[in-house]
Amino acid sequence: MRAGVLAAALLLPAVAAAQDCSPVLPGGTQLESARYSLGYRAVPGKPAVGKHFSLEIAVCPKPGTAAPESVRVDAHMPEHRHGMNYKAQVVAASGGRYKADGLMFHMPGRWEFIFDVRSSGRTDRLTQSFVLE
Amino acid sequence: MSGRPDHRTQQAALFAGVFACLVACGTLFAQAAGFTTSAVEFTAAETARILQHGPWPMAWSPDPSNRVSGKPGAIAFGEALFLDPRLSGNGKVSCATCHLPERLFADGKARGEGFVQLDRNTPGLLNVRLNRWFAWDGAADSLWSQSIRPIVDKREMAASTTHVGTLVRREAALSARYREVFGEAPAEDDRVTVNVGKALAAYQETLVSGRTAFDEFRDAVARGDRAAADRYPAAAQRGLKIFAGKGNCGFCHFGPNFSNGEFGDIGIPFFAAPGRVDPGRHEGIRKLQASRATLLGAYSDDPARTTATGTRHVTLEHRNWGEFRVPGLRNVAGTAPYMHNGHLATLQDVVRHYSALNEDRLHADGEKILKPLGLSEAEAADLVAFLESLGGRP
Repeated sequence: MRAGVLAAALLLPAVAAAQDCSPVLPGGTQLESARYSLGYRAVPGKPAVGKHFSLEIAVCPKPGTAAPESVRVDAHMPEHRHGMNYKAQVVAASGGRYKADGLMFHMPGRWEFIFDVRSSGRTDRLTQSFVLE
Repeated sequence: MSGRPDHRTQQAALFAGVFACLVACGTLFAQAAGFTTSAVEFTAAETARILQHGPWPMAWSPDPSNRVSGKPGAIAFGEALFLDPRLSGNGKVSCATCHLPERLFADGKARGEGFVQLDRNTPGLLNVRLNRWFAWDGAADSLWSQSIRPIVDKREMAASTTHVGTLVRREAALSARYREVFGEAPAEDDRVTVNVGKALAAYQETLVSGRTAFDEFRDAVARGDRAAADRYPAAAQRGLKIFAGKGNCGFCHFGPNFSNGEFGDIGIPFFAAPGRVDPGRHEGIRKLQASRATLLGAYSDDPARTTATGTRHVTLEHRNWGEFRVPGLRNVAGTAPYMHNGHLATLQDVVRHYSALNEDRLHADGEKILKPLGLSEAEAADLVAFLESLGGRP
């Protein structure tokens, strides 16, 4: 009984966080992993070749999952086997929101976003592939 | 537990991603139809890529990191400085010694010659304001910062900030012109030298190439004017189809200035001398990060650092070894020889290089899409005809 109460107490923050958190960003894209729902959208708008841009990201833990300890963003061109020439910096805001700055796609072609969400010693990787013209 | 990812995106999300990609591709092709002239049929994808090479000229906006950018007094002062050999250590070498105005601001030599022969080719300066990074290795992130570097490089103009500061303060005419643009010259030599760089940048920002036969063709395609498009030589059209199509040249030579502003290893030998390697971009990033004259530093005039995103986020990778800046291609016919070390004498040699690319010379961790184009003699001639249509006869 006591153990059950303790477990419930430990879960409360995560449950509350899950209730307050929405991964839906207007005009954005939503991805799912086993433990997290993630939404993102580019700002100031659709990425263009050779232009720096930022990402607004929302990461919501699913029931029973802790809030992320860290969120990382990267991108690469699978066929070209190289990534970006710039390292994105992710800053956490409140309510499961994050902002990633410094991204740039330096070529047209197929790119893949890679989001690594880490908590409890594990990393959920969420990816999204798209063609940039 | 290891930090390796242990969850992949769920299947539904993957389907959604594929669907989104298909929708995006579908949208693209719906928006950009193919274009057919009397000589060539361009696919929708080729047409879209062609349209991305314009319009030309591009809109101008001042450099926020340079408070005298676009100011007539600074431009005139910068032009005078560009031609002034007193900026050099021995009073005999000016910027124009290597960047000859009558040669599209290049020098026609394989490698530049200042006080000694240099390791790299002298790039032309037309459209230089469009660069994100400057010099073959991108060691500078602004035109004003790049303009200082040759002055204080002992191999090029062999001066120093002390020399420049003293010259500007002591030479009456120079001092007066400096004062008109920047106010009284301070005692701080570095500050005076940076301002000299900013005046030189203001002048170089005005060096913009004119419209070309390609631009007329591109605009004709944009407005669906087949009659006007037909005036573009058939050989150039065929070469353009290779450039925008199977050649995939636009992966790097992207946009109105035909450069994505970044760096690549294209299999050119990067030994500067026997036993001595030119590290290219790898060394350029290290120099940038060690410099005080960057867009993140105290000499930038932009308090918000609005153009410093690249400097803030650029990352040093092993693959940067032997990478060099992707040059714009406007006026390329007039700036031979080619590549970072002038290794290739003619445009024919350049096309031959890509046609018979030696993949063994490419980095193991470098670009994987570079493949020999295997062009026929006729195709190679067409590609050269296209490149020549980008202007450039001095």
